Parts: sequence; C-alpha cells; structure tokens
Amino acid sequence: MKRNLSAADEEELVRRTAAGDRRAFDELYRRTSPWLLTRLRRRCADDDVVADVMQETYLAVWRAAGSFAGAATSGSAAGWLWTIAAHRLVDAFRRRARHNQVPAVQMSEAVAPAAEDEVLAGRVGQELEQALLELPREAREVLRAMVLDGFSVRETSLLLGVPESTVKSRARRARVALREALS
Amino acid sequence: MTTHPSRAVIARYADRDADLDEVTMWSLELHLEECADCRGVLAGSTADDTRALLDRIATGLDAGIAAGPAPAPVSAAGRRRMVWSLVPWLVMTVAVLACAVALQALWPSLPSLVSLLAPVAPLPGVAIAWSRRHDPAWELIAGAPAAGLAMLLRRTAGVLAVVVPALALASSRTGSSLAVALLPCLAFTAATIALGGFVGVRRAAIGLGAVWVLAVALPAMVTARLPVVLQPASSAAWALIALVLAGLVFVRADDFRRLTSHH
Repeated sequence: MKRNLSAADEEELVRRTAAGDRRAFDELYRRTSPWLLTRLRRRCADDDVVADVMQETYLAVWRAAGSFAGAATSGSAAGWLWTIAAHRLVDAFRRRARHNQVPAVQMSEAVAPAAEDEVLAGRVGQELEQALLELPREAREVLRAMVLDGFSVRETSLLLGVPESTVKSRARRARVALREALS
Repeated sequence: MTTHPSRAVIARYADRDADLDEVTMWSLELHLEECADCRGVLAGSTADDTRALLDRIATGLDAGIAAGPAPAPVSAAGRRRMVWSLVPWLVMTVAVLACAVALQALWPSLPSLVSLLAPVAPLPGVAIAWSRRHDPAWELIAGAPAAGLAMLLRRTAGVLAVVVPALALASSRTGSSLAVALLPCLAFTAATIALGGFVGVRRAAIGLGAVWVLAVALPAMVTARLPVVLQPASSAAWALIALVLAGLVFVRADDFRRLTSHH
C-alpha cells in the first residue's frame, strides 16, 4: 500500500485515507490544502475563520473518507473537498452572523479580464462574458455563490447577508440575462 | 481544457491582495477544481504567510486526529451496526403493543390502549434512527451534506416497516379501527421529522411523545373514555395532518443538511 504515494491521484489518496492510511491523508493535505486555503481566502477575509474551516474540513475528510470511497466513482476528490469546505464556511458565517461581523471578501470591481489574462483556457464564451459584465454586482455575487460554489438559496443568503427572497430575485435576474445572452 | 492558465494568473489568484477580474476568476476556479497540475502550480506560488497558516492548520489537525476516532468504516458496515442498534427498540415497541393487546383482552372496559399508543409507537425508533450518539455513521453524513434527509427517510421507512404491521395486527386483535391506529402513527412520525429539522429529531420525538401522553393518553385512562381525536370520525383530519407535515418536511429539506449539529 505504501508504494507510489506520489503517483496516486487524489481520488486514490482519499480511498487510502478511508482505510486509515495516515500518510495518504498527509499527502492529500499537502497537495490540496494550498488550493483550498486560497479559494476560501477569496471568500472570507478573516484568517482565523478560514483556519477553523480548513481544520474542520480536513478532520471531516479524515473521518468520513469512507463516504467518498463508498460513493463509487462519481465526482472528483477536489470537488468533494470543496463541498465540505463550503458547507463548513457557511456554518462559520452562521455562527458569526449572530455577532454581526461577517468578514466576506468584496468582489472586485473589474469584470472584464485584462489583456494578459486572455490566454486563459476554458474561457467563458464571449456573449456570456458580456452578459456577466453587464450584470449588477449583487447579481454576480449571487451567481458566483450558487453556480460556481454550489450553495443553496439559504446558504447564499447567509453568506451574503441578504434575505432569501432577495437572493431569489437576483438569481432570477441573472438567469434571464444569461439566457438572453445565449439565445 | 487543453490549455492551462498562465502561471502569472495563478500567482495573482494566490495573492489575496491582488485584484483578479471576475471572468478570469470564474474560469480559473472551475479549472483548478479539475486540474491537479494547476493546483500544484498554485501550491508553488503561495506566499510565506500562507505556508505558515497551512502549518498552523496542520498542527491543529494533528491534535484533532489524535483526539478523535479513526476513519469511519465504509458505510455498509456502519449501516449494519446502525440496524443492530435499532433492533432492541423495535422489539420493545412490539412488546409494548403486545402488552396493550393483552390488557385489552383482560379488561375490555378500558379505552383502546392500542389506539392510545399508536401515535407514539414509532417515535423511539425514529429518534434512535437519527441520534448521533447511537450512530457510527454520523461522520459519514457530515461528509456528505446533502444525504441527511434521504438517509433519515430511509431509516424512518425501516422503522415504519416494523411498527405499522405490528400496529395493524394489534388493532385487528382488539377490534379497534385500523385508520385511527395507523393515521395518527404516520402523522406523528411526519411531525417528528418536521419538528426535528428545527430542534433535532430526538428532542422532537421526546417532546411530541410527552405532549401526547399528558394531553390525551393520561386523561383517557383517567376518564376511561376514548378521546374524540381517536374516534373513527377524526381519521380524515389525521390523514390531512400527515400529508401537510410530510409536505413541510420536503419544503424544509435544507434543515436536515445540518442535522448532525443538533443530533
């Protein structure tokens, strides 16, 4: 079991973690934690909260790796990690909301990519890009939380600190705009 | 996805203070989720403070792992243990119903004990079916947030599969109406789950059981009359309540994602 730890992909590492292999878990942490930390930090400005969320996430990974291994082949380990981390982040926001201090990262004002970023692969289509550009910032925030991060309406409302009905109406507006862009 | 984002873009993403435009960020995050190589590049472009933070988290993680349980066994074994922990409760439920039938045979003048017990009969089973203390699988559920409701419903169905035939048999032995035995049973089960989304399934089961016993069952025993809520005429109301509560459970399905936090 010890061989080829560096050659194993993340899914394999999770499966070995499920069998109680601590070295596989450490390797998984080494490979994925910089990415997960960066992504969380782009959503939460408080490093203490992010550190808590990271710790809870990887603890859940250690203890519940079997549920990923058991869920057969669907989905990537990274996507699974993000799902756990995202829900823990919402939990952290929920706890924080009681104290009225929600240190969410504001979205950048710039919407269109700078010229040097144009080389990016898998670029969203031109029309979609244009549509995104024209959306009000609030609608883009909702879209990011729901489409990119996979949050539910309730979770999005917690994360952004607005009522659920507002989230829904913004999502509707965004959907209409994007549909028009695609037609 | 044949081309990867440039190192410069990834480095800017890693630097929290650097502004990254929306469109680039979206496609970059989607790409990173799928591409292990680019995650490696990202790991290489993190700043010192990030690495320090990661070390701090790793230290806390070590402590947490040392203090907590080892990885939970793959779900099949966990489920088997879960089923076994349910068995004593189900046996007890069936035994209580059998006692009710026996008492009824001995003292026919008593109000139908089976009907009085019917609403609370499934509650112990449902409460145990979703209690963190009795559930070796709760960590698995914590790792799969969307599975909460589906899993609870499967277990509840398992409990009902035992309790409902037992109730049906008991009520046919005592000659009381099948509808007023089964419908309140279903309504209380649905109510427990619906309320469980707010206060935790176990507390909901205890609360509802206590209310039923104090408000209906005890007065009925004292006055020796079957309460009006258990007359055959009220079965339509029970059916309606069960349906409405079941609907509510589905509307509030979201609550069960975090069920484990209030066992």
